[in-house]
Amino acid sequence: MIIALVTLPLSLLGMQQQGGAGIAARLAGRVSPEVAALVVELGTAASARGLPVDPLIQKAIEGGAKGVPSERVAAAVRLVVLELDTAALALREGGVVSDTLVIAAGEFAITAGLSGNDITALARTGASPSALTVGLRVAGTLAAIGVPSAEDIGLISSKLRSGEPAADLLSLPAVIQSEVARGTPPAQAAAGRRRGTRNLLRTRRLRRTPRLRHILR
Amino acid sequence: MSGHDFHPLVKQLLDGDITLADLPAELRAEGEDALRLLAAVDRTDVSVPAVTWRVMAALERRRRPVLPWLLAPALALAAALILWILPAKPATPAALVTVRFVLVAPEAREVSLAGTFNQWDAHATPLVRTGPTGVWTATLTLPAGQHQYAFVVDGVRWVPDPGAPAVDDGFGRRNSVLTL
Repeated sequence: MIIALVTLPLSLLGMQQQGGAGIAARLAGRVSPEVAALVVELGTAASARGLPVDPLIQKAIEGGAKGVPSERVAAAVRLVVLELDTAALALREGGVVSDTLVIAAGEFAITAGLSGNDITALARTGASPSALTVGLRVAGTLAAIGVPSAEDIGLISSKLRSGEPAADLLSLPAVIQSEVARGTPPAQAAAGRRRGTRNLLRTRRLRRTPRLRHILR
Repeated sequence: MSGHDFHPLVKQLLDGDITLADLPAELRAEGEDALRLLAAVDRTDVSVPAVTWRVMAALERRRRPVLPWLLAPALALAAALILWILPAKPATPAALVTVRFVLVAPEAREVSLAGTFNQWDAHATPLVRTGPTGVWTATLTLPAGQHQYAFVVDGVRWVPDPGAPAVDDGFGRRNSVLTL
């Protein structure tokens, strides 16, 4: 047992180093050695905190592909870590025991312009982790289209609460974007969709009331 | 009954096979003595819990040398190790979605697509020029999820998709966003 106690931390350390080696292997030839070392260090620490590592690696590879100077890539990677931490904290505050996919989706939402409070608000809808992941991605995409955060979060919250299928949520950006292309302001387009969801919910509630069923038929 | 060697008939009496009256007269005194001895035997019930307690106490005494303080942390660490080693739950195979990318670039000599789906490789996904109007297209099948990308014009110029929402790339440019 004492041997096990001694070897356990060593084997855990070994596995961590293996994780670091995996990151280094993905970055080999794509970024400078300094950036690779930084991503290994930040990635290992992030992984220990339960954060996803892929966004860091992707950002470093993107910087290398675009020919961005190393110090700027390093700054961008550090920013991603900060955003991941913010997203994870916001999700915890919303009562969500978050997995790496939800956190990565939250990080994207922050990149797109949403705040930690917005993420917490979506987490409080009680949606399942998979639905919340889709909700955060769509909310981020709507923010990128130009939908103000209040309308954005209001719309996605109502969709998540109504339990709409992921496919319906995923179709929102295209719908809003086409309305915007026709000249509707993004906020107005989002508000219109939210009214539609509210009406749908009201109809569903009425359908559950037996006395009113015949009226709706 | 050590120290007493009763007559076989008296032993039968003690076993309940015969009664005192069945004994011959010369053995009746011996039979009565034997019955008195039997009646004097302590018939207090054996307490099973007491036995259990004594057995457990004995086991506890034996266990002490195994350093009980070591057991709980060792078990916790072993559990952590198992959780660490166990392979992650196999991911549900992501649905695939076919997407057509279009860029109008009449002056371009070559256009390609780089993004999170091809490790930002500027040469991995070339677009094809369709007709003389400078419309470049590529059709890809991508896993459902979130993708960021940009067009790479003539191998050097990174251009966001004008038909898609975009976010800051952290390097002073914009990445297009595709949510599938």
